[in-house]
Amino acid sequence: MGDITLTINDAPVTGQDGMTILEVARENGVDIPTMCYLKELSPIGACRLCVVEVEGSRNLVGSCHTPITEGMVIQTHSPRVVTARRMVVELMMANHPDNCLVCDAANQCELRQVAADLDVGLPSFKLKKHYYPIEDISPYLVRDLGKCILCQRCIRACDEIAKQKVFNLAYRGFDCKVIVDLDQPVDKEVCRDCDVCVSVCPTVALRKPKKQGEEKKGPPLILSQ
Amino acid sequence: MAGKVESQELDLTKLDKILSRYEGQDDALISVLQGVQAEFGWVPQGAIEHIADAFQISPGEVYGVLTFYEQFYLTPRGRNTIRVCRGTACHVRGTNANLRTVERTLGIKEGGTTNDFKFSLETVACLGTCFLAPVMMVNRNYYGKLTPDKVETILKQYD
Repeated sequence: MGDITLTINDAPVTGQDGMTILEVARENGVDIPTMCYLKELSPIGACRLCVVEVEGSRNLVGSCHTPITEGMVIQTHSPRVVTARRMVVELMMANHPDNCLVCDAANQCELRQVAADLDVGLPSFKLKKHYYPIEDISPYLVRDLGKCILCQRCIRACDEIAKQKVFNLAYRGFDCKVIVDLDQPVDKEVCRDCDVCVSVCPTVALRKPKKQGEEKKGPPLILSQ
Repeated sequence: MAGKVESQELDLTKLDKILSRYEGQDDALISVLQGVQAEFGWVPQGAIEHIADAFQISPGEVYGVLTFYEQFYLTPRGRNTIRVCRGTACHVRGTNANLRTVERTLGIKEGGTTNDFKFSLETVACLGTCFLAPVMMVNRNYYGKLTPDKVETILKQYD
């Protein structure tokens, strides 16, 4: 475990062997936005939001899964990086439902936060959107795949933390989605109420059931004469 | 989705024979699935669960692989497979009329199988014989310079 010296945004920093670029950057107060990354889960580099420019590398590299090496020269907010990040978020937004205004996630939504932070605004692409039925038969879990951004956090959390493997990725291209079992809607057979997946979902593709607008118990507010 | 059309009982001994060929190989999932498909013509739902057990992974993971690759079928296939070319050359030479003829004659859509399991219909991006455009394949046979009339006669030759 030796110390490794590298340069992030023209400042010399040191990190330990085996750390990723993202870990070193965060330790040194450099904020790299992330979406699929969570420090409790194994990094997969799926969302490409954490890309950085590494000198000598032809492509931008995903900082959440790239280990540091001696003498690395990294730019985390160069124009090229920021353009790439904006494009990533813009594409995510482009096939995300347009109902932010009435969405439960509101300001808790990580996609919205990141879009606001990168000043993405309304997407300039007109893409097909996903129209999946909302799965609300389970008493523990409501799933709205239209809002899923395929970060795969739920898949990894279920596998690595809850040790259940309820979720999996299936299909291909535009049809790619997170499936339960052999592509069945979530019901109480496959999933109990551990809520790990709900807590990691960046949008509200997964949430707890609510009883909005339903009849509440208690005496009627206005008694008939 | 699948499963409902499971016509006969799944022969587990055949399946185990395929699995035993790849025993101890964690990376042989695709090979096993290809073996299953060569044996049964498609991948039945019962097989998915059995294979998942053998590889000690979740059935969903196997399903993920199956749905990712176009080569795997989750529903029983017809005895004859029709592949209508949709390449640029075939498109220009009027392959759409041929495809519609096949669809109308057999009463199935692209990706479908007839109720008597005689034909399955697929479209492909290019069959590599553009000089014969518009082309279609039935099983291993090429048919070129097609017209809707020719398509109808060709379909009658198969059983």
